[in-house]
Amino acid sequence: MLEIQELSKSYGKHLAVDKVSFFIPDGKVGILLGPNGAGKSTIIKCIAGLLRYTGRIGIQGIGSKRLEAKRMFAYVPEIPSMFEALTVREHIEYVRKAYDSPVTDEQVEEMLKRFDLYDKQDKLGNELSKGMMQKVSICCALAINPKVILLDEPMVGLDPKAIKELKDMVLELRNTGVTVLISTHMLEMVEELWDIMFVMEKSRIIGSYRKDEVGEKDLDDLFFEMTESWETGGEEV
Amino acid sequence: MKALLYLTKRSFINNVKKALKKPVSLLIIIGAVLYAVFILVMLGQLVKSVHFGSVKGLLAIVTVWTLYAFLGNFVSYSSKKGVIFRPAHAHFVFPSPISPKAILLHSAWMNYLMSVVVGILFFISGVTVFQVAVWKMLLFFLTGCVLELVLEGSIMVYLYTNDRIPAGVMKWIGRIIKAFLVGVALFIVMYFRKYGVSLESAFAFIDWPGLQMIPVVGWNIAVYHLILLGPSSLNMVCALLYLLTVIFLLVVAWRMKCEGGYYEDAAKFADNYAEMKRRSKSGEMVIGIEKKKKKFRRVNDNFNVTGARAIFYRQLLEYKKEKYFVFSKMTLLTLGIAVLLSRVMKDSAMESGMPEMFLLGIIAYMTLILTGYLGKWENELKNPYLFLIPDSPVKKLWYSTLMEHIKALIDGCILCIIFGVAWKISPFQVIMAILIYTVLQANRMYTKVVAHCLLGDTLGKTGQDIIRALIQMTLLGLGVGVAALVGFTVNVDFVFPIILIYSIIITVIIGLLASIRFHSMEQLG
Repeated sequence: MLEIQELSKSYGKHLAVDKVSFFIPDGKVGILLGPNGAGKSTIIKCIAGLLRYTGRIGIQGIGSKRLEAKRMFAYVPEIPSMFEALTVREHIEYVRKAYDSPVTDEQVEEMLKRFDLYDKQDKLGNELSKGMMQKVSICCALAINPKVILLDEPMVGLDPKAIKELKDMVLELRNTGVTVLISTHMLEMVEELWDIMFVMEKSRIIGSYRKDEVGEKDLDDLFFEMTESWETGGEEV
Repeated sequence: MKALLYLTKRSFINNVKKALKKPVSLLIIIGAVLYAVFILVMLGQLVKSVHFGSVKGLLAIVTVWTLYAFLGNFVSYSSKKGVIFRPAHAHFVFPSPISPKAILLHSAWMNYLMSVVVGILFFISGVTVFQVAVWKMLLFFLTGCVLELVLEGSIMVYLYTNDRIPAGVMKWIGRIIKAFLVGVALFIVMYFRKYGVSLESAFAFIDWPGLQMIPVVGWNIAVYHLILLGPSSLNMVCALLYLLTVIFLLVVAWRMKCEGGYYEDAAKFADNYAEMKRRSKSGEMVIGIEKKKKKFRRVNDNFNVTGARAIFYRQLLEYKKEKYFVFSKMTLLTLGIAVLLSRVMKDSAMESGMPEMFLLGIIAYMTLILTGYLGKWENELKNPYLFLIPDSPVKKLWYSTLMEHIKALIDGCILCIIFGVAWKISPFQVIMAILIYTVLQANRMYTKVVAHCLLGDTLGKTGQDIIRALIQMTLLGLGVGVAALVGFTVNVDFVFPIILIYSIIITVIIGLLASIRFHSMEQLG
């Protein structure tokens, strides 16, 4: 589970995230929706421990800055950055060592095959295309065997097969009790994945929906219903 | 920690493998190492020849080095820029369950390596050049590689990972440290201004008791006094204070709680560093790591032109929006070089009776050797729209570089007029020199394009620059030779016009060759 309480983050005088709170239980997929600059990536970076912030972030009930919490969560950033002199396989090996991961060699190979990286595992970081880097980033996150996984705009740069695999993978993780948080502005990509959605506008969460409450209602409709109502001065949903 | 060691080990092995696959880079590394050894041997001989080859000579060098290293480390660590992180650290290392302190200490391995290399160099030179006993130099090496590294690591940890002290207070601590360091530097400058720069004053400086009393850095120097010159009450007390400081700071750093607050600054630094590397790789003159966000002026100009001319007018519009219009770091550098060299070289130039020839030499240096001059035109080649404009490649080349010619003309005016006035060169020759400078800069630009076409990216920017300079020297050398011959045999006044006309012809030919590059975006190399 992922628990955010009163999270705020400022860059100088600019308040990027303003007292945001939300909760995603085990085995649920939360999606953070919102326009560019709403503060989605800042929240993800705060959870990943890359930014200073005020408020509390809990991973399986443990403060996110503690090493025990870090051992349980994986992070796929919006823009992947590889170590130039490390091969694809070595990136994964590093992650396994750093997290003391129980993931086996066979599982790694299966993962590489699934994302079409098996024949590219000896390629160096600086020889990879943006899409390939994103796939490596996803494989590294999976090699952690996480309890909570953060995905920041994960579909950008991926080919259709990889997008399909990623979607399947998210559903598989959910079914094994993993908490997933996806930040995106591509609504159609997460249509069939979400359980809870949080909509952001101007540094704040303006509302949330649970899938089991809204039934078969379209994600697009829900999103625009909420943002339009907020823009016209309506109450938070 | 084993994951970080794995990271460093694999990166090192893969880099070596990569270098072995590219014999050119391996040859460059071997050449650089041999050159460094040559320089060190020469320096050793120089030290002996100026009678500096004694224990006190070594102490003087070590004192300056300690002060320099101390200044550098403190300034960089207090601004959280002393440890090189990569963007991949923010992706893979910072979120991982590894202690932030361990990450910091591990990531600074380059800093430790530097200290060890310097320690080895001091050891070798101490035994061979400065005739110090081996056991003393061993002790010296251990002090540098153990005590100093422990102190450096502790200060690094303290300044980077201190999450309890608010950022504003940390900023002030950094400022106070910087002020202290500037004070130390000013003191040294004042000392040598008062007593003059000589062997005697240098030796008197290291003997001056106040030096060893400066907190931390002076105490550090006192340890070297103790090892190299033997015990005295002052150096023993100061050395003890140093040892206590090291132990105290180690304990403080050890006990400090750190949850990775520095990751935010480190990730920002990593992005800036990667950007700086990218800019420097693309041939730009990069001075600082942090690039400030550019502010542009509001300009509402409209231009109504078609075809390749639009490239020039777009560049003009961009320059109008810039704070200093077409004036850049290069203008400032040209001004600096002109003011400095016109004063420094005045006597030799005037005594020769041909100061205009000195000016030609300086122009040749500025255009053939000096690198790092990147204008907007190089970015044009990276822009696909350039190739889509329905116009001829020659026109595209001309209008892409026209603004650079204007900038070169301005720089040429600054350079040549200053030299002309200072060295009393005739106005005709000054005008000729300005034109030659402008044409040679154009020649430089076009030759660079040709060199890139010939080599592709195989030798990198430095390789391309070397080949460019070689091509330019070969082609232009012929004209200079003819001009010199005519100058000495017929009339010296012909030198400038011959060089100018010859350079124009060569530049037009190279320009036509370079225009091929404007046909399609694909590289020829």
